Amino acid sequence: MLLWLLAFVVVPSAILFVYSFCERDELGRVVFSFTWENYQRVFDPIYLRIFVRSIGYAALTTAICIVAGFPVAYFIGRAGEAWRNRLLLLVMVPFWTSFLIRTYAWITILKQEGLLNAVLQSLPFGLGPWDLLYTPTAVVIGLVYAYLPFMILPIYGSVEKLDGALIEAAHDLGAGPLRVFPAVILPLTLPGIAAGTLLVFVPAIAMFAITDLMGGARVPLIGNVIQNQFLQARDWPFGAALGVVFMALFAATYWALLRFRAREDSIG
Amino acid sequence: MSYSTQLRFVAGALLALAAPVAARAAGDLNLFGWSEYVPQTVIDGFTKATGIKVNFETYSSNEELISKLVAGGGRYDLVQPSDYAAEVMIRQKLLAPLDKTKLANLKNLSADFTGRPHDPAGAFTVPYMAGSVGIVVNTEKVKVPVTSYREVFQAQFQNRIVVLNDNREIVSWALKSLGLPINTITADSLAKARPVVANWVKLVKVFDSDSPKTALLNGDVDLGIVWSGEAAILWNQHKKFRYVIPAEGAHQFIDVLAIPANAKNKAAAHQFINYILRPEVSKLISAAFPYTNPNAEARKLLRADELANPASYPKEGKLETFRDIGRMASDIDRLVTDLKSAK
Amino acid sequence: MPSTAAPRLRPPSGLRLLQFGLGGWTALVLLFFYLPIVVLVAYSFNASRLNVVWEGFTFEWYRSVWANGPLLQAARNSLVIACATTVLAVVLGTLGAWLLHRYRFRAGRSIETLAAIPMVMPEILMGISLLVFFATISLPLGFGTVIIGHVTFSFPFVLIAVQARLRGLDPALEEAALDLGATPAQAFWLVTIPCLRPAIVAGALMAFTLSWDELIVTFFTADAASATLPLRVFGMAKVGLNPTLNALSAIFVVATAALVAFAAYVRRLNR
Repeated sequence: MLLWLLAFVVVPSAILFVYSFCERDELGRVVFSFTWENYQRVFDPIYLRIFVRSIGYAALTTAICIVAGFPVAYFIGRAGEAWRNRLLLLVMVPFWTSFLIRTYAWITILKQEGLLNAVLQSLPFGLGPWDLLYTPTAVVIGLVYAYLPFMILPIYGSVEKLDGALIEAAHDLGAGPLRVFPAVILPLTLPGIAAGTLLVFVPAIAMFAITDLMGGARVPLIGNVIQNQFLQARDWPFGAALGVVFMALFAATYWALLRFRAREDSIG
Repeated sequence: MSYSTQLRFVAGALLALAAPVAARAAGDLNLFGWSEYVPQTVIDGFTKATGIKVNFETYSSNEELISKLVAGGGRYDLVQPSDYAAEVMIRQKLLAPLDKTKLANLKNLSADFTGRPHDPAGAFTVPYMAGSVGIVVNTEKVKVPVTSYREVFQAQFQNRIVVLNDNREIVSWALKSLGLPINTITADSLAKARPVVANWVKLVKVFDSDSPKTALLNGDVDLGIVWSGEAAILWNQHKKFRYVIPAEGAHQFIDVLAIPANAKNKAAAHQFINYILRPEVSKLISAAFPYTNPNAEARKLLRADELANPASYPKEGKLETFRDIGRMASDIDRLVTDLKSAK
Repeated sequence: MPSTAAPRLRPPSGLRLLQFGLGGWTALVLLFFYLPIVVLVAYSFNASRLNVVWEGFTFEWYRSVWANGPLLQAARNSLVIACATTVLAVVLGTLGAWLLHRYRFRAGRSIETLAAIPMVMPEILMGISLLVFFATISLPLGFGTVIIGHVTFSFPFVLIAVQARLRGLDPALEEAALDLGATPAQAFWLVTIPCLRPAIVAGALMAFTLSWDELIVTFFTADAASATLPLRVFGMAKVGLNPTLNALSAIFVVATAALVAFAAYVRRLNR
């Protein structure tokens, strides 16, 4: 694993790191002469604002995924053994169709003259039509749809490990579900929730395709900005600098969290 | 399981991975082109006629092509950039000069599409297909005439507009509407364009370069500025979608075929270009993709209704190709990104 | 088997309601997951070329799937790449998680952080930097390079899922095995791996899914012969996405369902 990390993570990251201090030519290629200019630009308020917004979207997505995903993971994890793997597959199979085709199906559902509005308007409550497609709401729906399985699976891993007898014991001692959950279930499944949060939150920050397709590319997120440096602006060094800062921030936070966790483990 | 066993495993896995990297037959033609832009029937026809197998690898924007080539990826015999991308590739010596003695069918091309600024002598590139970027209007929803950029971006059309998700395009429309040149961009002209773009960006509902027709077909928007090919497909679908070349003038693009400087099989590449230039082959491409066919002989073979499509063959209008603007692309990107995120 | 064999008592009747609620919610979430799938399957029978407006019923797109050689080739490539990626990612991820857990390296935390980096690395950066690297060591692009790229971004998912399960796993189990005379390798294979199985399955599913649908890294690391389905699909979108792709997706969903049903049937026969 170390070798793999070295070859395919450290080396490419190092390449990017070097690029981020370089200048560029008319093709966007790097020219090896040292400059701080790219980093100065990263801290321009334009990009900071976009970065903060990206984190906001990712955090909202993660929160919805935890709330929506935990009960599902719990149900699957406590289901009979024969059912567990089948249910897991049932969760994953929709994601084996192409992302683009799936997204187009969502567009068919959410568009103004789409299925959702047709259903809403046929109901007697006088609802709709809702203007959902190409709005931030559509982006969040798309994000939750894309990342929910990555929350369910790790939590499932922890729930499945829960000792049923422990919960039984808590119930026998007179604790209702409302007390068992925070006292027994939550602490024991916390590693799964933490892992799921990581697997959803982190990729969601750098995501770009959903904002383009379901959000109509109206509001750029950090993933779009980085993508643009390579595929529109021809500014590889600046793209690399954005990436390096982004990854460094992540690495620092993650490292600190690990340290915090280790200290807690040793105390608790 | 010890650490060294693990290392050995990784090394073994790496070797196993390297094995299936198949050595290609020397005679194959490696074509790097726009996705789906070269119909499969044309490729099969070429293989049948010459016995040369075609490995068709695809990209979906000029910048993808340039990034992959520049990063050192792949060895290709034939690429398919647009005019301005070809221009910078010529300047950077990434393209090989053509041997015109092997391209007898060059005579079929219309003079309108040769000798253009990106390659004045036609020494490196051969036009494949051409098109423009213009206004498309759903005439059932929009009853007033819309014939210029300024008329598209009106407050009454707020949230009813789709435009290409391409920052240079958007800025060039603003420059055109101000009467400024689109190919010599300065800090000054960008400063003048800025308030115009700022207003326009607020009115747009969808930015989409890949399939702007989707939002129009779905009825989520009523008008927009799109590729002529998209507009031609819309017209074929329903005649209510009318295509107009903006009064201020429009961007014309010419997609070309060119041979990279490091190509291995230049002979096959020439054969392929010459094959594409045959009128009966070029006609097939027109049938699959309703862009403007630069092949004058092929146009004679097209049906009347194909030639009558106003998006494929617009009657009038000022057309201008993009020139490479090099490092200014970055300033444009920054400008539009800033304005978009200010909303 | 430690936990899976734990006695599963009948829940007290007061909990039935909770159980029911959980089941109902799960059904709702599955509905959310399958809603677009139902739509895309329905549209695979749409007579319109453009996949946008419903125009009538047809089987034509299923016929055109079989006629589209490059598309089928791309689907085969994707399958090969996703399977290879899954196997390698599971091996790397599981071993990595176990090593990090078992031996408290001094640099453990840094290694763990490093292993998580590919998850956060924007795809375009990973694609371009890997391509530059491959070009520098003149490794020709092909299946090998695509798989390397895919394993790199997917194994952290396995690693983190497995780690979550390892945390709080009773170390006494493995020690007991060692005390009873098992070699470390035996203890790992016979005790640790079975305990980790659910997390490994979850990780494998994630790795497969990620690899199957990846676009950007694949673009930069593939050659013509190893082009994958997403590359084709995004290409087709440029010129009008036609329902052939819906038909292909529908076939894939049905095939997976059939495979799962078949596996369940075989298991029942074996019992």
